[in-house]
Amino acid sequence: MGEVLRVENLHKSFGPNHVLKGIDLTVEKGQAVVLIGASGSGKSTLLRCVNFMEIPSDGRVWLNGEAVGRERNGKTEYREHSLIPIRTHVGMVFQHFNLFPHMTARQNVMEGPRTVLRLTRATCVKRAEKYLAKVGLSDKFDAYPAHLSGGQQQRVAIARALAMEPQLMLFDEVTSALDPELVGEVLRTLKDLASEGMTMVVVTHELGFAYSVADKVVFLHEGRIHEQGTPDEILVRPSQTRTRDFLRGHATFRLPEAQF
Amino acid sequence: MGYEWDFAVVLRDSDLLLLGLVNTLKVTILALVFGVPLGLGAALLRLSSNRLVRGLVGFLIEFFRSTPPIVQLFWFFFALPLLTGIEISPFGASVLTFSIQSSAFFAEVFRGGIVSIERGQWDAAKAIGMTRNQTLARIILPQAVTRMIPAFLERVIELMKTTTLVATVSYADLLYQANNIAQSTFRPLEVYTVAAVMYFAVLFPTSLGVRRLERHLARSGATTAH
Ligand SMILES: Nc1ncnc2c1ncn2[C@@H]1O[C@H](COP(=O)(O)OP(=O)(O)OP(=O)(O)O)[C@@H](O)[C@H]1O
Ligand SMILES: [Mg+2]
Repeated sequence: MGEVLRVENLHKSFGPNHVLKGIDLTVEKGQAVVLIGASGSGKSTLLRCVNFMEIPSDGRVWLNGEAVGRERNGKTEYREHSLIPIRTHVGMVFQHFNLFPHMTARQNVMEGPRTVLRLTRATCVKRAEKYLAKVGLSDKFDAYPAHLSGGQQQRVAIARALAMEPQLMLFDEVTSALDPELVGEVLRTLKDLASEGMTMVVVTHELGFAYSVADKVVFLHEGRIHEQGTPDEILVRPSQTRTRDFLRGHATFRLPEAQF
Repeated sequence: MGYEWDFAVVLRDSDLLLLGLVNTLKVTILALVFGVPLGLGAALLRLSSNRLVRGLVGFLIEFFRSTPPIVQLFWFFFALPLLTGIEISPFGASVLTFSIQSSAFFAEVFRGGIVSIERGQWDAAKAIGMTRNQTLARIILPQAVTRMIPAFLERVIELMKTTTLVATVSYADLLYQANNIAQSTFRPLEVYTVAAVMYFAVLFPTSLGVRRLERHLARSGATTAH
């Protein structure tokens, strides 16, 4: 199985704030990796460095075996126009959906294929409808985001990312902004994607989901990977005290019957 | 002591007043045609990542917002020809002044609209590979413009009122025509009353329209006020 993502010694600082302190991570094709960690540990920053929404301060990222950026005098250079194809190959879904409110569900999903990939209108319409159907929204093509529930909006956002037909999907706490009764429908969508073989990195506090879907769980602590392994190793028998402390904070997490 | 109102003299010259109104509208509309795109350009430069560009454009905008429009008009009409050696007509000076002057205000309206759009919209567009310009054109501006409409129309009304200054450089706008007729007929009361009513007849419906639009946008949640 090929390696879709490889991150080596990744550092990211915002001014004096050293957020990521040397991350090494690989994601194999078809794997679902779940990233857990306390608030501020750098989970979002790590995801944003993977699709180059943020430029890493140091270290290297490989996508499908190809290094991103160019080596120049010992520094890695990233040119904005060379990062566009990277972002089209790596989909990202956000906590707050960030749908385009002036566009219908279909237009939201078409936007990337149309404006960025420059596919024909007809192709884009077909793609949009295909991916909206995939997330269970065949009846909402013409709905504006304001008329959709949070769970539906998040599924449109997932369809919008899928319509680029990315090789890797990043999910950043995509259920954290949802009412509890809407969490299930979004997690189910993610679970379906994982079982279809989509390669993904998921930041989530839904540990039941992590347990049943993840191939690998990564615990991030203060900008470093503190512990990683199978869901059993990390969520049930963590070897590190910090991981145990973190898990104890999630009282609602019951094993192994956690279902949705 | 009753004053004998006599609108007959004014009505006789009503074509001159109408011509004045048309000239006023001409300056206003041309100032908009040039001022709005110029304002958008200035707003985008003011949001540029280049510190120098940002600073320079910011200074120019503040300069035109913080000097009296009549001084700007005199400068373009009397001073600029000395500098360039090119004579400029009252009409040309008026359009030039108000295009630039209003663009400074529109720049602020545009900037306010653009920065009012949440960061998440930029993020979402970037994440699907859109460039900064694509994001501006397809995601940010369409949303910003709806939010800007009330502030924008408010400026249009302001602009039309300010154009009365062009009478001072002998451009035959409504006020200039009214001055002339008042002097030749010795009927300033009637003449200026009619002129005021004519301004009102154009501006009041516009104002009402703005207010209705504002209420409508507020209801639909598209505006964040201004
Ligand atoms: N654009 C930015 N500019 C400056 N600092 C930032 C920026 N983005 C993140 N940070 C800082 O980086 C640190 C890590 O933030 P990050 O959002 O990656 O954490 P997180 O693990 O995702 O937390 P949460 O669970 O709250 O989402 C925080 O201290 C944050 O203030
Ligand atoms: Mg986060």
